[in-house]
Amino acid sequence: MTTESKTTNFLMNLSPSRKSVLRSLGLWLIFLPLAVVIFIPVIYIISMAFTREANQLHFPIEWLPKPITISNFTHIFTDVTLPIVKWFTNSLIISTVGTLIVVFLSSLSGYAFARLEFPGKRQLFSLLLFSLMIPGAITLIPAFLLLRDLKLLNTYHAIWWPTAASVVGIFLMRQHFYAIPRDLEDAARVDGASPFRIYWQICLPLVRGAMVALAIFTFLGMWNDLFWPLIVLSDRETFTLPVGLVIIQQGSYIQRGLAFAAAFIASAPVLLFYAIFQRKIIAGVTTTGMAGQ
Amino acid sequence: MTQVPTSTKGGLLAKRVAVPSGLSWKELRKQLPNYLFILPHFFFFALFLLFPIFRGLQISAYDWKIMLKEQHFIGLENYQALMKDRIFWESLRHTANFVLITVTINIVLGLLVATGLKHSFFGRDFLRVLFYAPGILSVSVLGIVGIRIWDTQLGIVNYFVTTLMGGPRISWLGNPDIVIPALAITTVWWTFGFPMLVFLAGLQNIPETLYEAAKIDGANSWQSFRYITIPLIMPTLLFVTVTQFIAHMQVFAQPYIISGGGPGNASRTAVMYLYETAWKFFRFGYASSIAVVLAVIMIVVTVIIFSLMRGRTEY
Repeated sequence: MTTESKTTNFLMNLSPSRKSVLRSLGLWLIFLPLAVVIFIPVIYIISMAFTREANQLHFPIEWLPKPITISNFTHIFTDVTLPIVKWFTNSLIISTVGTLIVVFLSSLSGYAFARLEFPGKRQLFSLLLFSLMIPGAITLIPAFLLLRDLKLLNTYHAIWWPTAASVVGIFLMRQHFYAIPRDLEDAARVDGASPFRIYWQICLPLVRGAMVALAIFTFLGMWNDLFWPLIVLSDRETFTLPVGLVIIQQGSYIQRGLAFAAAFIASAPVLLFYAIFQRKIIAGVTTTGMAGQ
Repeated sequence: MTQVPTSTKGGLLAKRVAVPSGLSWKELRKQLPNYLFILPHFFFFALFLLFPIFRGLQISAYDWKIMLKEQHFIGLENYQALMKDRIFWESLRHTANFVLITVTINIVLGLLVATGLKHSFFGRDFLRVLFYAPGILSVSVLGIVGIRIWDTQLGIVNYFVTTLMGGPRISWLGNPDIVIPALAITTVWWTFGFPMLVFLAGLQNIPETLYEAAKIDGANSWQSFRYITIPLIMPTLLFVTVTQFIAHMQVFAQPYIISGGGPGNASRTAVMYLYETAWKFFRFGYASSIAVVLAVIMIVVTVIIFSLMRGRTEY
């Protein structure tokens, strides 16, 4: 007790700027080890991606590759059995189009549940809520069999349309449409605008922030997803990057450098994206409760 | 003449019934186009979420094999076999261990780090961005790094254990007792940023005046944490616990890539067992029964978490 009151007295006697310097130092002392632990694996990926195959097994670890080489990248880009450019393109198309679909459908439904009246609205909304409570594991097999019967396995559609069924975006959009003052719509309705025009021209621009947040997390989620693509894509040409990474890691390609170069190619765009939009993404996590994983 | 009163009566009745629900013909016709807004999503929702839920229950009652033209109905036999399936129970135990370790550390670490990051200090925004950064990576990337983090001969962990601390090389992924904790720690590295950010937002909603009042009353920092922070963070804690539980119960990729479910079955999780049953051995009926049991367990535990914690959220 006495030492504690002494330290508080000591802190109280310091000038505010001194105090904040001390606090910064103290907190950094605590957080520095954690920051190092977070950093090490990322640095390891980068360093191994630029280490030549022959040096991959060196121990102790060479944190700075000697020599720094791009041979892993030239190897992976020229190996015809590992069409990584195709995988990258697949990932890009699947994630971009998928995001557009999810954002558009979620905003349409979200608007209807927030602003429009129709019979059965409450029951339909409860149905969406009910589906949230059912763990995804149970829908995997039936959704897979359905796609197989529709002959959509190994196509982009196998990922787009099950993703289009997701409901989280609807709750997010509905919440934001609620916040728009009704007077705006009423004025447009008096002027004879159709419901779709009111939604498209008046309400949609006002929820742009929520749409951007939903788009970012949907894109990140689709870009990074492994489980569903692994189930519905079996043809090497149709793989996304995460599926390709697993194949590189497993098959007869246990070449360490290749795996790390591929991991680098898959991670660099999203990390760059994160570095640029960090504020938006961090704010989005807390307002939407979405994680991007 | 006789028809007039009945029709007015009918009309009045219709009006009485119609007004509260707003269902006159004219209104209904005006409302019908509104269905077009929800139709596009609802089509895919019905096809890929709603229908599969019931279809999954149905398939679990069949000896469903993908090559067969006609599927064989077997009632509850899949479930009976499942109850006696040693690998299934083991996979459930591994999953429970994994969830317990991951969720506990994620919550404790997330809350502690958020408490530190609540105050503004030099470099705080940088640390916040850094701590969430691993979550931006794909689980495939996590897998590739994970293999090399825990590798016995070349791994980063053993590098520090042997060269810095002079310890022996430990076979992290080869030891059935530590493979699950190793996978859990890897997952914590990847995911703790999410609970941290949510806790941070929750902490920032607690008015600073409460802490000042407590300080005047002579409370130390542990007492403020225990009697102000903890009770007021309860709703956030409930949200984090439930979402973390649901997310990590479905762990698949970490054991699939990093340990391959081994050694033996020591790190095979429930969803990994489900995946292998369906897409390696093509026993879709049996795999569906695994999915149903897993779903029931998850729903029951979620309800238990809710009722346990809701009693404490009121203050």
